[in-house]
Amino acid sequence: MSLIKDLTKGIYHENPVFKLVLGMCPFLAVTTSVENALGMGAAATFVLICSNFLVSLFRNIIPSKVRIPCYIVIIATFVTLVDMVMNAYLPDLHRSLGIFIPLIVVNCIILGRAEGFANRNPVLNSIADAIGMGIGFTLAMVVLASFRELLGNGTWLNFNILGSAYQNQPLLIAILAPGAFILLSFILGFSNILEQRKGGRQ
Amino acid sequence: MAEMLKVGLILMLVTLVAAMALGLVNSRTAPIIAIQKELAKQKAMTEVSASLSPGDSLAFDSLSVAGLENPYASCDNTLSVVRISVPPDTSRIGYVFIAYGKGYSSTVQTMVAVELDGSISNTTILYQQETPGLGANIVIPSKLIEKFYGLTASEFLLTKDGGGIDAMTGCTITSRTVTNSIRNGLEVMSEAGLFSSVEDSADDTSEPAAEGGTE
Repeated sequence: MSLIKDLTKGIYHENPVFKLVLGMCPFLAVTTSVENALGMGAAATFVLICSNFLVSLFRNIIPSKVRIPCYIVIIATFVTLVDMVMNAYLPDLHRSLGIFIPLIVVNCIILGRAEGFANRNPVLNSIADAIGMGIGFTLAMVVLASFRELLGNGTWLNFNILGSAYQNQPLLIAILAPGAFILLSFILGFSNILEQRKGGRQ
Repeated sequence: MAEMLKVGLILMLVTLVAAMALGLVNSRTAPIIAIQKELAKQKAMTEVSASLSPGDSLAFDSLSVAGLENPYASCDNTLSVVRISVPPDTSRIGYVFIAYGKGYSSTVQTMVAVELDGSISNTTILYQQETPGLGANIVIPSKLIEKFYGLTASEFLLTKDGGGIDAMTGCTITSRTVTNSIRNGLEVMSEAGLFSSVEDSADDTSEPAAEGGTE
């Protein structure tokens, strides 16, 4: 397994959202705007890299019987540390990313990658995997958030795209919770069609 | 048995290291966070009250008004009503208070600058953890809180509740909690007799703050 392959597989072939269907809670919750998607993606990628690094580093020390509690402790500790340090030294960043930090703890991509990859691969490969998964997660969120923000608010990354006439009567359901499920099912369905076509050709 | 002991000890070690790291970082960052919060509050207070008397540097004195204390124990923000004056003149020109209301997913804290006649001069959202993209848009002034300027307690009702303020689309709960918490604050302050001219000028439009400032 080369480093490059570990890095790129998370972006499409094993995309955490569209292929592994992990991390649905933050994925559905914060994709109301592209800005939020980017913020959540950046924060989750950072924690993912750090937790994969630590889990991989200690993979020979932690007994397999208690590995899950150990991972949870490591991830939760790390998230809390990031939260406290950011709050103290980068208050402006904390204000804009603050809502995402508690959500990272419940992001099962992080636990999923610790359990599925980092605990049996070397440190460098685990970091590559974390970066790839982080990018894949961020891209997936930006895709859904683009649809939701454009349909539900008429904007993209806060730029007015569809005009103020549309904004007065937007397709509000896109930005509400049901819209997330509806659009997600369309995206998953589309991705499955692509997969089937590829499978048929082989 | 021996293996179980070993596994247990390792787990204990991991949690011990984690707890120590958390404790250490918390003891370092907690005082800085407290200072940052206080600074942010002061900054918000200066900004929100600037509308009362633009260009002047203002003095703040805390007043305690029964009934306006923070009803939610989870919030540590305890500023009640602050009296605003322009030094060296000590006569008040208005007030600032924080309204607390239970929103959709958080306690929304709104800082409000009030003219002497009890009409709203300026508002800013201090704290909220509402749904991103929906209720969290409350921080954008044009969505809701700009509609408050110049209103008095009796006008503070959403259209859905029989008043004249349009809620943010899709965010009635957040809009309602902010509107109602401000009305509640204004009513308590009015009962405490803080609005000297509230009876005679309630029906007319709000006067510039500097003129209303003499008692």
